[in-house]
Amino acid sequence: MQTIYVDNNATTRVAPEVYEAMAPYFTDCYFNPSSMYEPARRAAQALGQARQKIAEGLGGIEPEELLFTACATEGNNTAIMGTARANPARRHIITTAVEHPAVLEVCRELERAGYRVTWLSVDGNGELDMAEYVRALSADTLLVSIMHANNETGVIFPIERLSRIAKETDPAIVFHTDATQTVGKLPIDLVRRLPYVDLLSFSGHKFHAPKGVGGLFVRRGTRCRPFMLGGHQEQGRRAGTENVPYIVGMARALELALETRAQDEARIERLRDRLESALLERIPCIQVNGRGAPRLPNTSNISCHFIEGEAMLYQLSAHGICASSGSACTSGSLEPSHVLRAMKVPFTAVHGSVRFSLSKYNTEEEIEKIIEVFPVIVANLRKLSPYWDSAHNRPRPEAENLARQGHDPAG
Amino acid sequence: MGWEYSEKTKKLFMDAVQGKPGTHLGEIENPDGMGEHGSIACGDAMRFTFRVKRHPSDPTQDIITEARYLTFGCTSAIASSEALCDIIERGAYTPIEALRIRNSDIVEYLGGLPEQKIHCSVMGAEALEAAVFNWAQRRGVDLAALGIDIHDRESAEGRIVCKCFSLTEPYLKRKIRELNLRTIPEITNAVKAGGGCTSCHHAPGGLQDLLDEIWLGKAGSQPPDSPRFEILPEETRPVPELSPYQFAKKVERAIDEYVRPSLRMDGGDVEIVDIKGTLVYCRLDGACAACAGAGHTMKMMVERALKDQVDERIRVIQV
Repeated sequence: MQTIYVDNNATTRVAPEVYEAMAPYFTDCYFNPSSMYEPARRAAQALGQARQKIAEGLGGIEPEELLFTACATEGNNTAIMGTARANPARRHIITTAVEHPAVLEVCRELERAGYRVTWLSVDGNGELDMAEYVRALSADTLLVSIMHANNETGVIFPIERLSRIAKETDPAIVFHTDATQTVGKLPIDLVRRLPYVDLLSFSGHKFHAPKGVGGLFVRRGTRCRPFMLGGHQEQGRRAGTENVPYIVGMARALELALETRAQDEARIERLRDRLESALLERIPCIQVNGRGAPRLPNTSNISCHFIEGEAMLYQLSAHGICASSGSACTSGSLEPSHVLRAMKVPFTAVHGSVRFSLSKYNTEEEIEKIIEVFPVIVANLRKLSPYWDSAHNRPRPEAENLARQGHDPAG
Repeated sequence: MGWEYSEKTKKLFMDAVQGKPGTHLGEIENPDGMGEHGSIACGDAMRFTFRVKRHPSDPTQDIITEARYLTFGCTSAIASSEALCDIIERGAYTPIEALRIRNSDIVEYLGGLPEQKIHCSVMGAEALEAAVFNWAQRRGVDLAALGIDIHDRESAEGRIVCKCFSLTEPYLKRKIRELNLRTIPEITNAVKAGGGCTSCHHAPGGLQDLLDEIWLGKAGSQPPDSPRFEILPEETRPVPELSPYQFAKKVERAIDEYVRPSLRMDGGDVEIVDIKGTLVYCRLDGACAACAGAGHTMKMMVERALKDQVDERIRVIQV
């Protein structure tokens, strides 16, 4: 059976060109770039070139402003913990209720350590309230950490505006953004368009580089203590032998992404829009979460009322289709997606979400296949659902009342 | 986390969703017993109905002949529902005999369930129990007189221990004993309690206290009467000589008199979002919002007017 991979916000396939670029640095030029002998200098050179390429890809930042990390989670931990350690006089952090756990949990940890954390809410579209944000800025604010685009819904936050407001309020406020879902997908220009962003973290495996490598932009002059200690690498700001082949691969991946970004984006968006409009037309009682907001072109988060997500994924996987869900049964905890709950998605739909996230490798035939099988999967499960009237293909009247009560009463 | 379901679980699920003959999906009209468990808010819910062959004189000798379910839930919840119905129909049990079916029987029938999915089998057993109680009511059978614990109102009453899943102390205590749950993860896997925010794990009167009380015979510490709130003072910047109220009024007046009229001539408007000390946060609306020169307009015009009319230290920030 052919695999249809539409879970690209989780990870992506390594591009063949990337794999090829990496290969020599495993078996041939395997040297430690910090070593003194001649062959090691070639590894160091490759590292330098990769750094230069990525710096250019981020709008022409100084290469020294870029640290290599093992993943975006490390970048987020470094940015938040490092900022807190470097600026002990301030004790207030602003973030959002819909961040990735790699930001959420770090902020919670600081909250337990006595920091005050403002968790900005989002509306039904997944968008922030600017007045709430402005209200939260205070003389004690140390750090604002707001993601660039949401991994579950693809909703894009106005980082340009948010960072400018923070800096105009008080230049000492540090602004961090988790750009894991946008680097390689959206244009990122840290020099001209995002001059107020101090820290930006990202990860290679979301744009066709391998897992295990990422980056953290630290604007010159930003006060941020290192997280990993024990070596002089990255000018002492991130200890640990540089992962040369993976870094070379990530640079190649970003280069590839930027070369064809505009065409890829338009094509992916067309496929995504085709998928959404066809499913909306064929299936009653579904909603596209975040549809009213600016969104990543590749992401579609669809909630089906009155059925559960894991059971949908299981049937999708029987057709070779790989997607993910915000349902409790797939989260590892027993609660459904914190993002959808923050958006006040009705509790009749919050367990029934499926996320399709596309990449440049998806084809029209694959999308048509999903359009063919997904409505059947939904109908099958609704036949089993105590809230659905299959004879009339609509919710039972008592279930409609539940849906109108809206938000999850439990939380 | 991949799927670690047994072949039996996978087959029951796929047969059910495809509506194969011999599956038990559906609802019996005018059933002899009907029970529900779970809720859509919690992520799984089941409605279980059965029909009996009525005994002419002794209702306790009724035999269950047909069982059906409707289930909102994941793969294993649906497979557990199938398993329950099949076990009951094959056994030709009386409703009172059926009460002896435990969630462990469902797990065994399925060839095992992943630990974190045990609650799916518990849901089946609970729905069955509710249906038998319902049958007893309809048939006028006094279960209490037969020595059966009917604990029917416990979930509606009693102190809530797990707020995320609305589970009460009496219910949790019964399930801890019944299912021989010894640790917090075991409780979470079986009945979901503590699987959300986790704040009830070690809170006074929380899950660990219930476990200690039941298995170690310790009296649990009492939960606090009411949560305590601390209101943190908002940090404020040095504020001008006017009170914040007077200052805001003065800013508004200056905008009304000196800024709005000229913006409106161009089809635009300005809204004050917030004022912090001498920082004034504004949003441009209407034609102005779409204009590329908006930032410039704001700085030049609004800030100049406010500096002249209100306070030289004012800075305007566009939101």
